[in-house]
Amino acid sequence: MIPVKYNLRSLRARWVASLMTIIGTALVVWASVLAFGLAAGLEYTLNVSGEPLDMILLRKGATAETGSTVDEATARRVAALSGLATDEAGNTLVSPELVVIVNTARRGDGGKANVIIRGVTPVARKLRSEFKLVEGRDIKPGVREALTSRSIAARFQGAGLGEEIDLLGQKFKIVGLFEAGGGSAESEVWTDVEVLSQTSKREGGYSSVQLRTTGMESMTALADLLENDEQFALKAVSERKYFAEQSSAGIAIKIVGRVISVFLTIGAMFAVANTMYGAVASRAREIGTLRALGFARRTIVGCFLLESILLCLAGGLLGCLGTLPFNGLSTGTANWDTFSEITFSFRFGPDVLLQGALLAMLMGIVGGMAPAIRAVRIPIVNALREI
Amino acid sequence: MADAALRPLVELRDVSKDYYRDKFRVPVLANTNLDIPRGEFLAIMGPSGSGKSTLLNLVSGLDRATTGTVRVNDVDLGSLSESKLTKWRSETLGFIFQLYNLMPVLTAAENVELPLLLTGLTRRQRAEHVKTALAIVGLSERMDHFPRQLSGGQEQRVAIARAIATDPLMLLADEPTGNLDATAAHEILDLLGQLNEEFGKTIIMVTHDPRAARRAHRILRLEKGQFVHTHADALGAI
Amino acid sequence: MKFLPYVLRNVLRNKLRTLFTCMSIAVSLFLLALLYAYIEVQDELGAKSVNYHRIGVVHANGLTFTLPISHVDKVRTMPGVKAAIPLAWFGGVYKDDKLPFAQFATDPQFVMQVFDELTLPDAELRAWQGDRAGCVVGARLAEKKGWKIGDRIPIKGAIYPVDLNLTLIGVYDGPDSSDREMLWFHWTYMDELLKQSRNAAAGAAGTVWVKGESAEVLPEVMRRIDERFASSDAPTRSMTEQAFQQMFTEMVGNVQAFIRNTALAVVFSLVCVAANAMAMSLRERTREVAVLRAIGFSRQLVMSLVLSEAVAIAFLGGALGVIGAKILFGIESVTSTLLPIMPVFYIPWSTTIFLLGVSAVIGLVSGIVPAWRAARLSVVDGLRKVV
Repeated sequence: MIPVKYNLRSLRARWVASLMTIIGTALVVWASVLAFGLAAGLEYTLNVSGEPLDMILLRKGATAETGSTVDEATARRVAALSGLATDEAGNTLVSPELVVIVNTARRGDGGKANVIIRGVTPVARKLRSEFKLVEGRDIKPGVREALTSRSIAARFQGAGLGEEIDLLGQKFKIVGLFEAGGGSAESEVWTDVEVLSQTSKREGGYSSVQLRTTGMESMTALADLLENDEQFALKAVSERKYFAEQSSAGIAIKIVGRVISVFLTIGAMFAVANTMYGAVASRAREIGTLRALGFARRTIVGCFLLESILLCLAGGLLGCLGTLPFNGLSTGTANWDTFSEITFSFRFGPDVLLQGALLAMLMGIVGGMAPAIRAVRIPIVNALREI
Repeated sequence: MADAALRPLVELRDVSKDYYRDKFRVPVLANTNLDIPRGEFLAIMGPSGSGKSTLLNLVSGLDRATTGTVRVNDVDLGSLSESKLTKWRSETLGFIFQLYNLMPVLTAAENVELPLLLTGLTRRQRAEHVKTALAIVGLSERMDHFPRQLSGGQEQRVAIARAIATDPLMLLADEPTGNLDATAAHEILDLLGQLNEEFGKTIIMVTHDPRAARRAHRILRLEKGQFVHTHADALGAI
Repeated sequence: MKFLPYVLRNVLRNKLRTLFTCMSIAVSLFLLALLYAYIEVQDELGAKSVNYHRIGVVHANGLTFTLPISHVDKVRTMPGVKAAIPLAWFGGVYKDDKLPFAQFATDPQFVMQVFDELTLPDAELRAWQGDRAGCVVGARLAEKKGWKIGDRIPIKGAIYPVDLNLTLIGVYDGPDSSDREMLWFHWTYMDELLKQSRNAAAGAAGTVWVKGESAEVLPEVMRRIDERFASSDAPTRSMTEQAFQQMFTEMVGNVQAFIRNTALAVVFSLVCVAANAMAMSLRERTREVAVLRAIGFSRQLVMSLVLSEAVAIAFLGGALGVIGAKILFGIESVTSTLLPIMPVFYIPWSTTIFLLGVSAVIGLVSGIVPAWRAARLSVVDGLRKVV
C-alpha cells in the first residue's frame, strides 16, 4: 500500500549503508552460486556420460573399470551375441577397452592427479555419441600417439596438442583434441588399445567391454545372460546406472558447498538485520507519522520487509552476475570411485541461479523480519517524539 | 439525525491519564471534562509537562485514556479496537506536527497523497485531491519539490495540505508554529483560520505562543493536568 | 589502556547492533576456521609423521599398479631399514556400508614395528598372528561400527576378486593424531584366496611400507630402494609418509586456492558489514565526538578510540567464532558425528591465531573511514548539529 518508491528512495538516501549491505549480500550469493554451479557441473558430466542404451561390462564384483579385468576370450564371445546394435556400415557396436591410471602433474600448481588413459579400438568413438574430433587428427593404430580433450590439454602438463605426455615411462604424442558433449571421456587420454596393452604390460586383457543394445528389452535380456551364464559371469550394468553410482566426488562437493552456503547466509542475515535496524531507528518519526496517518501495522511491517528484500535481491543479482566469468570454466577433482581425475565445468543453469535468488530472498525476509516488527512496536506517540 | 449536528464534536468525560516512569505513577490528566463544539477553533496552552500534548493524543486516538470516556463525532474511542481506531483516524482527522514530519524521500505532492492511499479513490481522483489541497495552501508550483528544497513555512504548508487532503472533520495541530519564524508563523495561522472559517474544519491547536492562541475562538489553559479557563477577551491583558 | 572503559562503553552502546555484528563475523569465521583447519591438519599430520621416519614404496606407474611380495623381503634386508611390511589396499565393501574404511592386507609379524606409535595388547597381537583369518581394527573404527572382539567381519572384494571372512581378534589404539580407523588382516590369507581362484593378482603386495632406523638414513634408503628395482618388472618410487599423504590431498584439486579465494570473499564481505555498523554507530554520536574534541582530545586520540572500538567488536566476533569452533571440534563425539569421513580433525592453534589476527584486521579496516571522519569533524559543526 505504501508505494515502492518510498522504499527505493529511502534506500538511496542511506546509500552507503545500502551499498555495504548489497555488497555483503552479493558476496554471499556469489560464493554460494559458485559452489552450487560446481556441484551442478559435476552432476551434469556424470548424467551426460551415460548413453541410454549402452551397457558396460566389468568383472563380477568390481565397482569401476579401474578394478576390473575382462579377458580377450570373453570379450570375443560378447561380441558374437545377438541384441547388439550396429552402425551404418554393419559393424557391431561393441568396444573392448583397457583403462590404466597414470599419476601426472597439473599445469600451474604442479600438483599431481591420476588421469585415466583409455586404450581403445576405433569403435569406441561411436559409443560416445557426441564424440567429435575438434583439432588435429585421429591416432594411427600401433603408434604411440594419443588423443585427449581440450580440458585435459589445458590443465595438465604435456597434454597439449603437439606435446608429449609421459605414460608409464614411454612418451606419447598428443595428435588430436576431441569433445564428447561434456561427458566423462573429456577427463581421459585415449590411445590404441594394443599399444597401451604393451606399454602397461597388461597383455591379454581388457578392463571393460562397452556395448550398445538394440533396445530396452534386449538390454535386460543381455544383462541377464551376461551375469548368470557361466561363460561370461560378468557384471553388466547400464551406463546410466554406472555413472549415477559414481557420486562420491559429487556428494563431497555438494555437502561442502551447502555447508559454506548455510554459514555465509546466516552471517549475512545478521548483517541485513543490522542495516534494517539502523534504517528503522533513523526513520522512527516517519514510521510514527505513517501510523498516525492511519497506515496499519501490517502495512508498515510489510513495507520494511519489502525494503529488506529489495536490498538483498539487488545483492543477489550482483552476486549472480559475478559468477558469469566462471561459466563453462573447467576444473577437475578426484573421483574416488574410479580413483582418477574427473573433469567438469561450472554450470549456472536456471535452477542454480534460482537457488541464488531464493537465498537472497531468504536473507531479506529472515534478516529483515525482526527490525520490521520493531518498527511498529514503538508506541506512536514515542515515535513522533524521536528526533 | 438533526440532533447529532448539535452535539459537541469532542466530548471528554472524567478522563484521567497516567504515565509510568519506571515504577512511579505520574498522573498527567485527572478527571478532565471537555466539550468541543463543531466548527470551533480551540487553542490549548500551558507550560511543558502540563498535559496538553497528552490531551491531543487522547482526542486523536493515538493514546488511550486510563479512565473515563473520549467521544469524538459520537464514537467512543475506547470501544474501538486498534485496527478500527487506525481506520477511524485516517477518515476523521488530519495531523499537523511541530517538526512537519514529511517523508524526506517523497515530493510535496507524494506526501500529500499519502493519506489518500488509504482510501478507495482511483489514481486520477487522488491526483485531483492533491491538486486541490496544494492549491488551497498556495503551493501548486512546488508540487514536485522535495522537503529539503522547501523552507520551514513551505514544509508546514505541505503538511497542512496533507492534513486536509482527505477532507477530515477535525484538524489537530501540535505546536504548528514552534519551528517557524514570525512571518512564516503568521502565514500558517492565517491558513488555519481560513480552513476553520471557510471550510468549517474544527481545529484543536496546542501551542505555547500567545499570539498563535489569540487566533482561536477559545483558549484553554492546562496547568498540572487541570483546566484553568481563560476567556478569549481576557487575553488582551497578556 | 586508560581509555579502555570508554571504548568498551561505546561497544556496548547499542547492544543489539554489536551483537548482530559480532554474530555475523562469528559465523563467517567459524566457517573459515573449518576450511583452514582442513589444510592445516593435513600439514600438521604430515609434519608429525616425519618423526616416525616411515617410507611408502609405490610402483613407479602409480598406486593402481602393485608391487610383488618379493620386494618386501629384499627391502627388509637393506641397511637402514628397521622393518618392512606389505601394505595392500583391499578396498572392499562391508555389508552395504556407504562410508568406506581402510582395509589393509599386511604382515602381522612386523606391522607393529613399522607403526610403533600404535599400541596393541601383547595377547591380542599374538592371537592375531596365530589366526590367519583374523583381523585387527583401530579403536575409533571399532567404536563407530560397534564391533567387539570375536565379531565376524565379512568383506566383499571390489578391487580384488575375492571375499574375506574375517574375525576381530584385537583392537589397537594410539595417540589422538594417529589413524585409528584402519583394519589390518593377514596378507597371506588374501594371497591364498587369490591363488585358489587362480587369479593373476596373487603375489601382489600393493605397496611396501618401511620403518627407517632414523630420519637421517631415509633419503639414502629411498634412493637405494628405487635403484634396486629400477630395471625390474616392478620399478618403484619411494617417498616419505608425508609425501604419500600429500599425494592424496593433491588429487582433490587445488583446494588451497579454493579456500583462499573463498576466505578473501568472506573477509571482504565482513569488512563491509563491520564498516556499516561502525558508520551507523558514529552517526549517532557526532555531538559527543565534537564535545571530546572541544575538551581537548586530539585528532589522533579520537581516531584511535574509534579504531579500537572497531577492532574490539570485530575481534569479539572473531573470537566467538574461531574459539567456538576450536572448542566444538575438540569434542570427540562432535567431530566424529559431523565429519565422519575424516579420521582426524581439529582446529589447530596456528589456524586459531591466524584467524584471530584476521578478525582484528577486519576491525581495523572497517574502522578506518569512520575514524577518519571523526578525527576530521569540525567541532563547531558537530556541536551545532541536531542529529
